[in-house]
Amino acid sequence: MSSLDLQEQEQVDALKAWWKENGKWVVGAIVVGLLGFAGMQYWKSHQSGQAADAAKLYAEVMKQAATNDAKRIGDAADALVSRYGSSAYAPRAQLLAAQASLQARDVARAKVQLQWVIDHADESGLQDTARLKLASVLLDEKSYEEALKQLDAAHPESFTGLYADLRGDVLSAQGKVAEARAAYQQAFDKTDAKSVYRNLIQLKMDGLGAAK
Amino acid sequence: MFDFVQDKRWLVQIVLAVIILTFAVWGISSYQNTSGSDPLATVNGEKIGQQEFEDALEQQRQRIREMAGASFDPTFFDKPEIKRSVLEGLVAQRVLTVEARGAGLMPGDEQLAQIIAGIGVFQKDGKFDIERYEAALKERGMNRLGFEARLRQDVAARQITDAYSQNGYAANTVAETLIRLNEQQRIVAVSSLNPETYLKQVQISDADIAAYYEKNANEFQLPERANVEYVMFSADSLSSTITVADSEVKQYYEEHAAEFGTKEQRQAAHILIAVAKQASDAEKLAAKAKAEQVLQQVKQSPAKFPSLAKQYSQDPGSAANGGDLGMFGRGAMVKPFEESVFSLKAGEVSGLVQSDYGYHIIKLLAVKAAKMQPLGEVRGMIVQRLKSQHAGDKFAELADQFNNTVYEQSDTLKPAAELVKATVLRGVWLSKGQAANDIWTDKALQAVFSEDVLKNKRNTAAIEIATNTLLAARVVEYKPASARPMAEVAQAIRQSLQSLRAAEMAEQQGKEILARLQRGEKAGVNWKPAQSMSRSQRSAVAPELLQAVFSADTSKLPAYSGVASSRGGYLLARIEAVKETGAIDDGKRNGYVQQIRQLTGEELLMAYLADAKKRADITMKEFVTDERK
Repeated sequence: MSSLDLQEQEQVDALKAWWKENGKWVVGAIVVGLLGFAGMQYWKSHQSGQAADAAKLYAEVMKQAATNDAKRIGDAADALVSRYGSSAYAPRAQLLAAQASLQARDVARAKVQLQWVIDHADESGLQDTARLKLASVLLDEKSYEEALKQLDAAHPESFTGLYADLRGDVLSAQGKVAEARAAYQQAFDKTDAKSVYRNLIQLKMDGLGAAK
Repeated sequence: MFDFVQDKRWLVQIVLAVIILTFAVWGISSYQNTSGSDPLATVNGEKIGQQEFEDALEQQRQRIREMAGASFDPTFFDKPEIKRSVLEGLVAQRVLTVEARGAGLMPGDEQLAQIIAGIGVFQKDGKFDIERYEAALKERGMNRLGFEARLRQDVAARQITDAYSQNGYAANTVAETLIRLNEQQRIVAVSSLNPETYLKQVQISDADIAAYYEKNANEFQLPERANVEYVMFSADSLSSTITVADSEVKQYYEEHAAEFGTKEQRQAAHILIAVAKQASDAEKLAAKAKAEQVLQQVKQSPAKFPSLAKQYSQDPGSAANGGDLGMFGRGAMVKPFEESVFSLKAGEVSGLVQSDYGYHIIKLLAVKAAKMQPLGEVRGMIVQRLKSQHAGDKFAELADQFNNTVYEQSDTLKPAAELVKATVLRGVWLSKGQAANDIWTDKALQAVFSEDVLKNKRNTAAIEIATNTLLAARVVEYKPASARPMAEVAQAIRQSLQSLRAAEMAEQQGKEILARLQRGEKAGVNWKPAQSMSRSQRSAVAPELLQAVFSADTSKLPAYSGVASSRGGYLLARIEAVKETGAIDDGKRNGYVQQIRQLTGEELLMAYLADAKKRADITMKEFVTDERK
């Protein structure tokens, strides 16, 4: 009283033969898939673990920031950068540290910190922030050409106003009045009409005297 | 310092404030998700709903009211550009969340805990209180998991904005330039050419008036108008017709006893001889023997209970305090313990009480009786609540009938008014395109000026103008749009043309005089006495004059400048001397550097946001400007 009729028996046999031939591939594929999945899960948790650790070190930088001690802030930022340099917290810590260095008049260290952000930050906005800040430091050092070189860097359209404004500052310091005015004019045009900063640009432009 | 910079601050400030405020203030109500209904905006498919928007608007309203004080203009927030700014702020917030996720910003638990502990509503006596925290969240329909996840998101978004707003830059060179510009003084004599002087010379012909009337026909249009009668029906209006029985009040009082008083509380001390629940019988016996021995000592000298507790009790939390557990109500302790405490008299000591922790010897220290607010004190409030409950129910019941009556007997409002015991209100003129108000909402106005209501004189449908408030209206009299006749407006046109021409003449004359002065010719100008001006002093000097004076080339003195006055006419300025500011000290420079850094920081943030928005997929509702002028 076989529960399988002939046709079904044939199918089962065919299946068995197929399995004998191909079974190891199927098993292999499943193993590879599982490994891949596990790997991905591991990578994800590794990533968020890394982010959490970096966040912890960043909290430490912020804690130090409250002390106003540029050296300690810088060291805390370096600790973060050396271990989690590719995390989003590293450039943030460096920017914070650079501001502290500037306040403490340690311009050399500030420049290194800003340059690090320009070279390593993933977020382009942070690069622009560091670059503008660096250019303003260079302006105070009277390294006008270097400052202008920083300001020549490619940047998103929305930052054009700020780049042009600072270029106006440098050119004006160089005594290039006509060029400075053109730069300020560009900055003025590229800045949101509702922005307060626009008035400041206008002020600097007026300060150059009436156009000849 | 940069006083004159403040003029246009509001709009940008509002965008920034929305981003930052929702984070900082936590009127946590805005944390509730609003689903359903049409979203006002979407960011990568995530919706921003009406409720969230209203909350943010209200927050800003309060913030500005506090800042502006008595000068606060309540209609300020009806302006479409203000609403737009608030919505932009919310959109920016969403964009920031997306960006923070992309960048991998993930604030740690410690930081989160610190922030939560710092929030006022979660504190009791100035300290973070876990029960208060959970209760406060529950009250707002949230749980810890949801709230903390949302908070983590917001902190991450804040880490994005901080990287820009905190990293503004200001070169000392620029600060000094600005100080020099801002504090430089110019000694200036002014002469103004007023339009009034030229009025007599102006001739306006009838043809001029007719031409103006033709050309500006729009100005003289009267919009469509309708005289309406209407019925309003609301839950509030029903509540005065509702009576509440005493028995019902009493029942409510009893059912909500917890709300109107505190339950009995008792203060007890105990000595615990600990033995684990799963301990062996031998261990349990040993513990019991020990406990009995202690109990003997307590019975001998009950006054020594505290010192005995210190010596023997194995409850680390209370032993040091002489076993004192403080005040607690029912439900706080394990069952056998509680039963014993609530059966003792004050000062009495129990026998051995066994619980999952071991053997207790309990002394009842004090009893604080249950205290209820008397019914008399809370009656008014209860009646009010019940009334509005019933009114709400009745409103729901009647709303459908009201709808139907208005629709079925569409040539009169009387039956509908009788149904809800309201009166038909009359004599209100509405114009097409007028601004909406509390009663005549956009929806209501739209209904009144629809074809069927206007031309066929039918009732409008019942319109919900607020929660639990319906309105139905019909048009009694209609006046189509018309133009005011020229005779009616000729005088006004003549006057406005006259002052317009006079101002043009003054300006023309002013420019000619300025040109002569600049060529070094005499011009017979009537100068007022010279005064000192600087940009940093916001004085009575008109801003356009200030700008003309300070953008003038002063390489040769006296220098002349001029500008069309914003009040009509022309302003001439003779700059006689320029006084530079003295040496700049560190304190002053640092003050300017701080301010400039703040401004560049804001500007960096706006630039970054503009770029981030470009990368996101955003839709936003337009707020239409009022068309009627």
